[in-house]
Amino acid sequence: MTTTATPETPATPAARPRHTGRFARLLDAAAPRSTVLMIVGGVLTLVGAYLPWVTFVLNEGPYPEKATLNFFVDPFGVTGFRLHLVILGLAAIVVAALRRIPARHRIVRGLGIGATVVALINGLWITVEGGGLGAITASEGTIAFGSIVALVGGLVTVLGASAGGLERKPVWTWTLPWWVEWILLVVLFVIVLLLVAAVLTSGGQGGVVNPYAGVVFLSLLAALGGAFAALNASGLLTWVSAVSERHRTFSVIVLLIVALLLPLTSAGTEYWMTVASNIGVYAATAIGLNIVVGLAGLLDLGYVAFLGIGAFVAANLSGAAASQIGIHLPFVLVMIISSVVAGMFGAIVGSPTLRVRGDYLAIVTLAFGEIFVRSAQNNIGGLTGGANAIPNIPAVGVGDFKFSDSVVIGSLRLPSGVLYYFLIVLLVAAVMLVFAHLKNSRLGRAWIAIREDEDAASAMGIRTGPIKILAFLIGAMLAGLAGAFFAHKTAVVAYDSFRFLESVTLLAAVILGGMGTIPGAVLGASILFVLPEKLREFSDYRLLLFGLALVLIMRFRPQGIVPDRHRKAELTDPDVEDVAKEGPGPLPTRVEP
Amino acid sequence: MSENPQTADGTPTDGTTTDGTTTDGTSAAAEAVVEVEAPPEEVTAELAEDMHIATGTREPILVSSGVTMQFGGLRALSDVNLSLHEGEIIGLIGPNGAGKTTFFNCLTGLYTPTSGQVTLRGRAMPQDPARVTEAGVARTFQNIRLFPSMTATENVLVGRHVRMKQGPISSLLHGPRFRRSEAEAAERAEKLLAFVGLTRFSDELARNLPYGDQRRLEIARALATDPSVLLLDEPTAGMNAQETEATRQLIFAIRDLGVSVVVIEHDTKFIFTLCDRVLVLVQGELLVEGSPDEVRGDPRVVEAYLGAPPEEVSAQLQTGGAADGAGTAEGKSE
Repeated sequence: MTTTATPETPATPAARPRHTGRFARLLDAAAPRSTVLMIVGGVLTLVGAYLPWVTFVLNEGPYPEKATLNFFVDPFGVTGFRLHLVILGLAAIVVAALRRIPARHRIVRGLGIGATVVALINGLWITVEGGGLGAITASEGTIAFGSIVALVGGLVTVLGASAGGLERKPVWTWTLPWWVEWILLVVLFVIVLLLVAAVLTSGGQGGVVNPYAGVVFLSLLAALGGAFAALNASGLLTWVSAVSERHRTFSVIVLLIVALLLPLTSAGTEYWMTVASNIGVYAATAIGLNIVVGLAGLLDLGYVAFLGIGAFVAANLSGAAASQIGIHLPFVLVMIISSVVAGMFGAIVGSPTLRVRGDYLAIVTLAFGEIFVRSAQNNIGGLTGGANAIPNIPAVGVGDFKFSDSVVIGSLRLPSGVLYYFLIVLLVAAVMLVFAHLKNSRLGRAWIAIREDEDAASAMGIRTGPIKILAFLIGAMLAGLAGAFFAHKTAVVAYDSFRFLESVTLLAAVILGGMGTIPGAVLGASILFVLPEKLREFSDYRLLLFGLALVLIMRFRPQGIVPDRHRKAELTDPDVEDVAKEGPGPLPTRVEP
Repeated sequence: MSENPQTADGTPTDGTTTDGTTTDGTSAAAEAVVEVEAPPEEVTAELAEDMHIATGTREPILVSSGVTMQFGGLRALSDVNLSLHEGEIIGLIGPNGAGKTTFFNCLTGLYTPTSGQVTLRGRAMPQDPARVTEAGVARTFQNIRLFPSMTATENVLVGRHVRMKQGPISSLLHGPRFRRSEAEAAERAEKLLAFVGLTRFSDELARNLPYGDQRRLEIARALATDPSVLLLDEPTAGMNAQETEATRQLIFAIRDLGVSVVVIEHDTKFIFTLCDRVLVLVQGELLVEGSPDEVRGDPRVVEAYLGAPPEEVSAQLQTGGAADGAGTAEGKSE
């Protein structure tokens, strides 16, 4: 067992790096006391977590449960975001105090950013919901400075960590016996499963009756983002991914099994199974789009039309009463036909790529998306049902057995919709396999070469025209597959599921997650399609928040959450590398080598 | 440095003496100024075997006859004739705007000549860059055009594209034949990177490579298409003396693989010490064609480059031609 860690910068004041940039003076002043600042920040975060946060009980009920004045009834029972703050604060104090931990400042900075964003999100929400600053400061004799103290704590932590000089991420080269690594991977994947279930269900089902859903979800994301950034800074994440790379096949199998076990967690209700299935549909579509945009570099602004084409084809072949074609084909056959039809349209839409490039192609695809929606809305050929949609699409099934039924195995009762969930997990896995295999082939290299420099690619003997059309065709086929599933799962296919906004969201999912990577597309699709579920109460501001989040991500992490190996190297500025995913970034610092 | 024993003597213009002097002068100068690593011999031998380019005939491979290119009212090329024989290195020089790159673009199918014809081994050249490459003509670009976000190995693998046969289905299934062809391509890429001396950068992104190495990678990528003709557009632009010398050795080694080479270059010293034959293009017309010595001594060339020839310059050029080695060394130390 060997350990290699890059040597930490000496902590003597003389050797301290000088800062440059806008906050240089502040950071230089803070530098000699960085450790103290980090600890003070952590303590403030803790104190903030234990102070009351709201001066009155909100209309929809107390928020958060014990953060109002009745807090003193139960002093140690922090839950929810205050528990997250306590954990982040304690971790910051411990790491700051242990001088021997490599990349200590970088880790603490991640924790600090997490705490800052959690305090900011909750404070802002209470302010908005409570009708002004009075909600989080003092009003009618009651005092509640919790959010402000926690916010200051988080910022001080970040300041201390940044001032102390950010170290390079250490590299760990431990190798354990293979069975230990297997067990480790299984444990980690199960933890990931539980986290996914927790994130998915956090705040519960959004809606008018549950206005807390969105903010609880965002707050949990921020806390996890901070913890994730800290883990990443410690180099452990890189090590774990190296381990899983060593046991690639094993990891893939375990991951698939773990994904199939989601119904056994807290997410095992009909509602969450439906949400998870929808995420799966969009994840599969996003991976298809990733071929067109991420690999071949062709901007497609009307991509959701292919999902729609797949869905309408499946609806018409499903034997639904409203369908124009009164035949009922087996689901597998329907999927294949949907996929082929969508692929044909993909090739048609892709054909202008022979002549137009870049922005002009984007306009062509945008127009195609609009043509599709308008045609569907006007029920052209009677194939789409127009405003009436195509309802009552029968569930997938064999004989009397329906996929929409709940499953009872002995004493274990799985919610209805669980079979659809299993189906979409397998479908997404298959789509991932297609993507991975194509990416690492002659075809994938040709796509990337076209993205990089089309003229040079054709000078290398790549027939760019057919290969670009092939990207559109394969991408559309994957979307068509997802569309066939979507039609049967939701039982209703209406034109308004495939509007421009959905195309943009899919594109955003690909860019947000990281262009050209599988986990990126899945993660992006998950976040972007869970958010609307959670933020129903804020549906008026949804697009605003959405746009804001995208701007911030493009500013602080242009390579996406899970960057492609190549794009990472291209876009990474060493200082921006580990910034957490949400919220404002740290004070910009630049450490001289 | 690579052995360069047999000179390409299938052409009417170059005599053995000329060539001998040139090469000797080069190596002397190189040893005097800098140590330059040439491609390792065993790699060259293996590659030559893999690529199967040399046919042993002395037939002209690439022939352009009466190529004329008209852009609106501008005549960029008029009646340019060229015949490239197997194993030959031809230099194309001329002042800026003389039509050198236009001529390259005509040769590689990027432009369709207004009149005239380009043939490769007796067949008309296809009018599509991808098909031209497939037919066996590869090129590099004046301003480097690598795939910046791909690694050096991946760049070379893209060059293999045209010689690999996997279709979409086989790419999807990753069957045994797919794996075999991938392994072969990877092996070839490794050899080519060794050939141009970039093994240590194989996993580095192209954009991160030093400038000179990017040019070498571009050459490796072009060689990956198994070309019988390689067109190099200013391969030493922006290079220092040492890198230029290394490039010269590399081009000799490429010739030894059996690839015929056409080089565009501004650096006349580089051209005169490298090429078997030199063509001077001025205002779209072929001004002079001949061995380096003939071209160097030609007063029309001096005039084209410098305007009306003052006695001094002309004389200097003449003496430079005579005392070849010294002249080259001087040029290098600049």
